[in-house]
Amino acid sequence: MKLDPKIPSGPLEEKWSKHLNDVNLVSPNNKRNMHVIVVGTGLAGASASASLAELGYKVSTFCIQDSGRRAHSIAAQGGINAAKNYQNDGDSVYRLFYDTIKGGDYRSREANVYRLAHLSNNIIDQAVSQGVPFAREYGGYLANRSFGGAQVSRTFYARGQTGQQLLMGAYQSMMKMVNEGKINYYTRHEMMDVVVVDGVARGIITRDLVTGELVRHSADAVILGTGGYGNVFYLSTNAKNSNVTATWRAHKRGAAFANPSFVQVHPTCIPVSGDYQSKLTLMSESLRNDGRVWVPRSAGDNRPPGEIPDEERYYYLEERYPSFGNLVPRDVASRNAKQMTDEGLGVGETGLAVYLDFRDAIARDGKDVISAKYGNLFDMYENISGENPYEVPMRIYPAVHYTMGGLWVDYNLMTTVPGLFAMGEANFSDHGANRLGASALMQGLADGYFVIPFTIGDYLAEAGVSTIDTTHDAFASVENEVQERIDKILNVNGDRTVVDFHRTLGRIVWDNIGITRNEKDLKKAITDIQALREEFWQNVKVPGKATNYNKNLEFAHRVADFFELAELMAYDALDRGESCGCHLREEYQTPEGEAIRNDKDYAYVSAWEFKDLNGKLETELHKETLEFEFVEMKQRSYK
Amino acid sequence: MSQMTIHLKIWRQDGPEAKGAFENHTLDTVNEHMSFLEMLDVLNEELIVAGQEPFEFDYDCREGICGSCNLVINGRAHGPKRLTAACQLHMRNFKDGDSIVIEPARAAAFPVIKDLVVDRSSFDRIIAAGGYITVRTGSAPEANSIPVELEDSTFSFDYAACIGCGACVAACPNSSASLFTAAKLSHLNRLPQGEPERQKRVLAMVEQMEKEGFGDCSNYGECEAVCPKGISIASIAEMRRNYVKATLAG
Amino acid sequence: MPSLLKALSSQVGRKLLTGLTGVALIVFIVVHLVGNLTLFGPPDAFNAYAYKLHSLGPLLWIAEIGLVAVFAIHSYIGLSIWWNRRKARPQKYHVYSSKGAPSRQSLSSKSMAFTGVVMLVFLVFHIQAFKYGETSMTTIEGVDYPVKDLKALVINSFLDPVMAFAYTFVMMLLGAHLGHGIWSAMISLTLSNPQRSAAVYTAGTVIAVLLSVGFLFIPLYIYFTGGQGALIQY
Ligand SMILES: Cc1cc2nc3c(=O)[nH]c(=O)nc-3n(C[C@H](O)[C@H](O)[C@H](O)COP(=O)(O)OP(=O)(O)OC[C@H]3O[C@@H](n4cnc5c(N)ncnc54)[C@H](O)[C@@H]3O)c2cc1C
Ligand code: HEM
Ligand code: HEM
Ligand code: SF4
Ligand code: F3S
Ligand code: FES
Repeated sequence: MKLDPKIPSGPLEEKWSKHLNDVNLVSPNNKRNMHVIVVGTGLAGASASASLAELGYKVSTFCIQDSGRRAHSIAAQGGINAAKNYQNDGDSVYRLFYDTIKGGDYRSREANVYRLAHLSNNIIDQAVSQGVPFAREYGGYLANRSFGGAQVSRTFYARGQTGQQLLMGAYQSMMKMVNEGKINYYTRHEMMDVVVVDGVARGIITRDLVTGELVRHSADAVILGTGGYGNVFYLSTNAKNSNVTATWRAHKRGAAFANPSFVQVHPTCIPVSGDYQSKLTLMSESLRNDGRVWVPRSAGDNRPPGEIPDEERYYYLEERYPSFGNLVPRDVASRNAKQMTDEGLGVGETGLAVYLDFRDAIARDGKDVISAKYGNLFDMYENISGENPYEVPMRIYPAVHYTMGGLWVDYNLMTTVPGLFAMGEANFSDHGANRLGASALMQGLADGYFVIPFTIGDYLAEAGVSTIDTTHDAFASVENEVQERIDKILNVNGDRTVVDFHRTLGRIVWDNIGITRNEKDLKKAITDIQALREEFWQNVKVPGKATNYNKNLEFAHRVADFFELAELMAYDALDRGESCGCHLREEYQTPEGEAIRNDKDYAYVSAWEFKDLNGKLETELHKETLEFEFVEMKQRSYK
Repeated sequence: MSQMTIHLKIWRQDGPEAKGAFENHTLDTVNEHMSFLEMLDVLNEELIVAGQEPFEFDYDCREGICGSCNLVINGRAHGPKRLTAACQLHMRNFKDGDSIVIEPARAAAFPVIKDLVVDRSSFDRIIAAGGYITVRTGSAPEANSIPVELEDSTFSFDYAACIGCGACVAACPNSSASLFTAAKLSHLNRLPQGEPERQKRVLAMVEQMEKEGFGDCSNYGECEAVCPKGISIASIAEMRRNYVKATLAG
Repeated sequence: MPSLLKALSSQVGRKLLTGLTGVALIVFIVVHLVGNLTLFGPPDAFNAYAYKLHSLGPLLWIAEIGLVAVFAIHSYIGLSIWWNRRKARPQKYHVYSSKGAPSRQSLSSKSMAFTGVVMLVFLVFHIQAFKYGETSMTTIEGVDYPVKDLKALVINSFLDPVMAFAYTFVMMLLGAHLGHGIWSAMISLTLSNPQRSAAVYTAGTVIAVLLSVGFLFIPLYIYFTGGQGALIQY
């Protein structure tokens, strides 16, 4: 396998426009004959489907949920970045680019990130025209806020529903094309595998989740916008249907998987309350602007928080990071919280939480001011936890939130399998080892609206119309494999449920490939995962039939893929002998616990090639060396 | 932590054509912090282990935003609590020993797929008929070239908040989709961007809503009461006004 | 653009029509009440009022045809909406209950079809009894020939307890119908301001009660005073 990122030459600012001038175009007549499959209807999938259909391609779009509008993107709260500089506070495309590269701890491609920053402005234009009701000022112009510790106010937002509103914009544009007959729209259809013929992606096999029927779809190109794999942890802020299946099956058919261990953990989530917990809920980071994070100084201090005097409270972020205090970046806040609970200082019934206290802010600004800023969040917290945060400090804990890793793609968003593309959270592209707040929405939409429509044209112009249809043997054989797998899962008929396995897997991954990692634990995780995977195939119990709606069967497939991915994540984390971004290897930190990045040996993207699975995952690492021509690599410090 | 015993009576239906019936189950390990869906998860896990089939129900985000969940709990869409989707409903809203009846949303336009899962693709088709603003990718003008009065923008947003859960239909005595349809119309029609297609939009969406087999609106207002996003039926009146204008203009 | 007919037969159009006809009926009923209340005026007032109406001749016929049309359209659409809901929900809920405010489900709104149908039946009987009922003749001031003594007819009718209480009952149902109906008609006719809507709901309830009480006062008063009450002058 050869990794060619295909980065256009020339100055940073001109690479994309130059590339646009160079790409091949498909003639309008030909577009009508070309069929593109888009899997996923999140921001990436919906925007790409709409845009490609408008261009005249025949498009087929698939999603798991009963409507495209329910894709996980809908849950994003905070906002979307763009370099509009409406606030006149010195923002620019370059600055957004620079912040993103730096935020990613220098593990992403300069050219991609620059393009992203550049396209960010077009996204806002497009969304506003679609009727996305972004926050506005009294004069009627768009409002911005500063997000995730950025020095400029470049985040556009729509109350706490930015993802929902952006997705509705893209979804509605997509539905218009569905209505015009330009898109074949398949809901409750799960992609089970990619069909690759002579090394080129030619279609997919889907399962109709209502009837259980396996269906073959052929196309001239296949695009995956299937989201992230945070659910490998079982508990995460991802929607329950988020999965790795589509990208993993693509991986097993030849697409390299990049940086699988780069996982972002969000520090302000509502903690787990019991074993039955099915997912975690995120609360906006903005809470840390006024809340103070603390734990009792001594382990086992069971007094109610209000009775613990100030001198016995450990405001650990403020003490450890005097200049940033409670506003340290996500990864630093998360890591410290975990350290506190590891040391037995955690609070609440489970001991897996720290306090986020608004006592002082309320005393300073008054309850009304705090309520005006955070009223919604306080209500949400109270609804879930049953405690009133105006009176008792919130309990928070980090939770898995976003996966920077994903399918390796070149500058054109094409994977290592020709004709197979990946966009949005499903690819690894723009966030390096850590994603800045409000930039995932930006990336999904940039990919879908403004990158894929051109780069796929370039590919299709060269590849021409495919003559392979679903009668080709390859379709039959992949469909058979899928069928066999379904039968196999249903026939195990063991003792443990899918959820039970998933929960156990999640705990292994969280404990060992979570906020901090070390060689010993990673190695142990690998053997544990292998053993559990073995047991899964011997002992899983999946009820019901394959021929009707069967959520447990769906989940069983996805969990089976998570098992394989988890092992790869461990290899990846093990390989990376440095700490960078969200990846903290305990062996590579200063005595004070600061990450030590190693640019000399690790300034590369890890792209893994699937070889075999035989009790053990056989995989080969390929490295895409990252060149930094335009920015200078600096060490992050928040002291 | 208090444990509760809950008696459940849940609809079981094998498929769209099958005849359904209720099934009774008692759970005695319910924790007040559980969400309603987590309580069903626990039941399902017990059923699977006991060799029975679990109950199917729709969900995804479990935080009240995707609109997947839509259970009718003791005769109320999304359960007893206002402005709360079923997935955000916590068991502390129930008492030890309570009996709870769970049914799917019932409407001709929402046929049952299995158990508590229904087919809401009719909503997709209503949006497809006109619930959009036509703007080709790339043809949008600079965002700040279209100022929007704050009042219009706020108004529009209040209706854009709809999550498409279908609770309004489930609760409406007439199974009307008026609130869902009107919410989208109020979102788009009030914005300057949505102005050019305003008349076409309202006619097309109303026509589609009727084609799908939803009932008429008798202004019962139950839809607003169950709507997890508190969408106001004022939008329904607004839809009628726009409809009249569009008809007279034509 | 759809033809007017198509637009009127759409879900929204139908609802506009129930609203419009509802309002027309309210106007009729208010006028009718005012007319009926002249029973309590000077001795000849009621008969004179009726006479004046009748002497409108062709104009009255047109008005009556219009009224029949309004009743017909109103009842037909109202009942078809009610009928449609069975089609829209073939399988009923095992348990169903309202979630409370801001829902407008109430005894009044849930019984629109029932109260409507009862009124329809009532109307047939009512018109037969009062419009085509047999009356003695009487004279009124300013008219040289005898006219129908409707006043006597009404008073005699309500001396009968069955009539008196049946009317009272129907007038209560009328109040129930209008309790939801007045507000609903405004919403159907595109009243969209939420604050105003709440005010209209209260006002609608008050008007409904006033109308209902205004009507049912007539049979009850006549019955309980044996037609000899101080308010009735002969
Ligand atoms: C709680 C939360 C808050 C967030 N807040 C922000 C924020 O404020 N700002 C920000 O920039 N980012 C935020 N993010 C991150 C951001 O929301 C996501 O990264 C982004 O929306 C991903 O979009 P996507 O289009 O790539 O995928 P998704 O939205 O995940 O969509 C995936 C699609 O693929 C489909 N799919 C998946 N697998 C299959 C399959 N096998 N077959 C068929 N279809 C399949 C699904 O049905 C779905 O339609 C947040 C994330 C979370 C969890
Ligand atoms: C003659 C027999 C009548 C029948 C069968 C009837 C039936 C109905 C029905 C079923 C509705 C509810 C419509 C819906 O569900 O949307 C309704 C509404 C209404 N009715 Fe009647 N009704 C009758 C008489 C009257 C009378 C005499 C009045 C007035 C005095 C009246 C005033 C109204 C009003 C104002 C509404 C509300 C209209 C709306 O919601 O838009 N009705 N009627
Ligand atoms: C106590 C209550 C009522 C009394 C005493 C009363 C009395 C009368 C009388 C005397 C007439 C005959 C008028 C004539 O021949 O010119 C009449 C006609 C009529 N009444 Fe009433 N009425 C009452 C209530 C109602 C109600 C509640 C309705 C409607 C729901 C109604 C609808 C009508 C109609 C439609 C006519 C026929 C009018 C016409 O054709 O000109 N009445 N009423
Ligand atoms: S209007 Fe409310 S109840 Fe109806 S679909 Fe939208 S969010 Fe759900
Ligand atoms: S409950 Fe139904 S009748 Fe109309 S106001 Fe709501 S749609
Ligand atoms: S599961 Fe998403 S709204 Fe309930």
